[in-house]
Amino acid sequence: MADFKIHHREGEGVYIIDLKGYLDAHTAPDLETAFQKLLTEKKYRIIVNCRDLTYISSAGLGVFMAYIEDVRKNKGDIKLSNMSAKVFNVFDLLGFPLLYEIYTEEKEAMTKFKTVKAS
Amino acid sequence: MSRFKKIILVVLPPILFLLVFAYDIIRATVNLEIGWLDFAREAFIIVAFVLIYLFLESSRGNVKQAATRDVGRLLIVCAVVLSIVALIGFVGPGTSNQDEEQTSYSAMNIFLSMILGLCLGWVSLRSLLTIKDLVLFKRKKGTKRNLTVYLILLFCSVVPMLPFFSLETSLLGTLFFGFTVAAIVANSFRQSWIVYLSRKQKIYVIVYSALLFTGFVLLNVLFFEKTFTNKALLAFSQPLHRFTQLNAIFGAVYFGMAFVSTLFHLPTAEVFERKQFEITSLHNLSRLVTQVFDFNDLVNTVTQMTLEVCGAKSTWLELVKVDKENLTSFEIVSAKNVTRDRIEQINGGDQSLLRNLVIESKKYLLIEDVSADRRTKHVVAEKLLKGSLLSIPLISHGSLIGILHATKEFEYGFDQDDIDVLTTFADNVTIAIENSKLIARSIERERLQQEMMVAQAMQRRLLPEALPTSDKLDIVAVSESSAEVGGDYYDFIQLPDDKVGVVVGDVSGKGVSAAFYMAEMKGIFLSLSAICASPKDLLIRANEALMGSLEKKAFISLIYAIIDTRVGTVHIARAGHCPLVYLSGNEVELVRPTGLGLGLTNGEVFVQATEERLIKLREGDVCIFYTDGITESRNANGDEFGSERLVTVAQRSKDRTAEEIKNEVLQEVRKYVGSPVIGDDMTLVVIKWLGKKGVRV
Repeated sequence: MADFKIHHREGEGVYIIDLKGYLDAHTAPDLETAFQKLLTEKKYRIIVNCRDLTYISSAGLGVFMAYIEDVRKNKGDIKLSNMSAKVFNVFDLLGFPLLYEIYTEEKEAMTKFKTVKAS
Repeated sequence: MSRFKKIILVVLPPILFLLVFAYDIIRATVNLEIGWLDFAREAFIIVAFVLIYLFLESSRGNVKQAATRDVGRLLIVCAVVLSIVALIGFVGPGTSNQDEEQTSYSAMNIFLSMILGLCLGWVSLRSLLTIKDLVLFKRKKGTKRNLTVYLILLFCSVVPMLPFFSLETSLLGTLFFGFTVAAIVANSFRQSWIVYLSRKQKIYVIVYSALLFTGFVLLNVLFFEKTFTNKALLAFSQPLHRFTQLNAIFGAVYFGMAFVSTLFHLPTAEVFERKQFEITSLHNLSRLVTQVFDFNDLVNTVTQMTLEVCGAKSTWLELVKVDKENLTSFEIVSAKNVTRDRIEQINGGDQSLLRNLVIESKKYLLIEDVSADRRTKHVVAEKLLKGSLLSIPLISHGSLIGILHATKEFEYGFDQDDIDVLTTFADNVTIAIENSKLIARSIERERLQQEMMVAQAMQRRLLPEALPTSDKLDIVAVSESSAEVGGDYYDFIQLPDDKVGVVVGDVSGKGVSAAFYMAEMKGIFLSLSAICASPKDLLIRANEALMGSLEKKAFISLIYAIIDTRVGTVHIARAGHCPLVYLSGNEVELVRPTGLGLGLTNGEVFVQATEERLIKLREGDVCIFYTDGITESRNANGDEFGSERLVTVAQRSKDRTAEEIKNEVLQEVRKYVGSPVIGDDMTLVVIKWLGKKGVRV
């Protein structure tokens, strides 16, 4: 099984999580930990960059569901970006685009955060 | 011992003594010259004392376990007897200024001499019993023989004192007296019982034996000729006089020796005790091993044993705890004679000064004098602790799993022996704790396996046992699950007006929770399918029902179709599930009405998103429902089977029966994966529309 890695970056008040590899039932707890940490640090503006994400299972999708409510309650958001077609298909099949903002580029997501902040 | 015997032992001696007393009174007033009566009198006394001896012996406990206590009791007896003797000496008539002949003839004197005889006989027998047990405490060759020799000599020197023997014989008795004293000395070297006493007991024994020695010496002094006691006793019974005298000598010599011997043993008492303790500790270690099933019991035993092993004042055990975020912290799992708050302060609060010293060195930390050591400055200021402190790390496979601490009240309290014993002890504790953890883990695994089996059985029961029967439909369904419990679910329902409901879904996650949600889904499906005429309606209501009960991160994807076999239509709605592969003529379509997974969001968004499609079936049309286990099957390169391959194989075999189509698809997947074992659950439902005539192809 391919590795799963999480990198954190912080830019302009927005916290970015880079995902890499397989996100499935085995690796989902790692992502949960990452979200949990951000929430305890009161960082609610989050972009998940899926550029290097090769696979996501239902357990992986569940992680986003688990935290979105808390994040939005605190006037933040989890935005997704840079998905491969295959990964997007999984999100799309389940109807995630109706619930999450999914951008082709991280920059767009960042811009969106800034405009919200400005308004 | 039987009740009858006991009654005899208690009742008979007093009767015999009463008879003797009566005889003495008569003899004092009337001058009797009947020899056999004297003989009978002595015999009565002897029998009475034998009975007393038997009584005393029967009422004794096991001396091996309580030698000190037995010696203590003997001391009490001795003291009581001495005071009685002294009292009699005080109230009794003086010897020097009274006519000697008169002494033995007054009734009062007869009574007093009898009491004296009784008391002295009692103490003699009692001391003989104690000494016998002490001598035989640890038997060696000759131990018993020597004692037997003494008893025989005692007998030989006592018997000639009987009144009807001649003076010559009684001289022989005096000769034996000398031999007996020699036997006493020989027996008095048997002091091995002292070795096994604890230091505390030895101190008691020193006091007891010194007092007993004094007591017996005093008794011996009484036997000097001029005393009233001596005379009274001689008058009462000469054999008893001899017997008592010899035993008093034995008592004095034996306890004198015991005193000296214990005194010499005292300096080594602690060493002996420690050795003994090490042995007990070894035994206790096996106790540790058996206690690994209960962690709390185990750690409490550890601290308790630490107290015992080195005589510490307080002790506590802290173990390394790793939390979810891989941060390590220490948890005090057991403490004796010290509060947890105090431990934290002793450790140095948040900085954990002492703890860090042990963590860094991974060696034991010994602070000989807490008040003078710079490492424990913080402790002194708060007056938390005085004396010495020893902290021993518990190291398993090179990593620290905990620290065992012990304190003593006085400075330089821990010597090298303590450290050695505790270090060895700590090693064993480490093993016991590790074992305990392993066992807990394997029990947990066992439990999970059990749970999994229950879940698997539950899952199998949730899938339909029979397929719906319709001569217009050719239906097959298969659901294969991987080793674990998966979340795939399919079901059929026969609806009114010749309609058939088909549902295929996937519950996120695996294991028990998946099986549980699946059961919930089935319940919801069965109840809603009866009242919801359209698939869209059912999905919306199912979502409402599930929103409240699903975990945040759990959701269910579902596809639901109602096939109207009278008119040949399919109404289909999708809640985030894989699309339907619809094959009609040479056309193929992935039917994918929009829709959100169940349990993701409630209310309007879901309602808005859910779409319903209508398909008009033509003869020979094939509908394939599947779960992502099919399309996400991977080959050795990690590439997915994908929906394109599924479509291709479906197209290729669409003119065959549903069963054959299913087999083709599964075979293709297996061929692609390259192994008969599938990694995930897969579910496949193939429905072929046979047309209104219902002719099988």
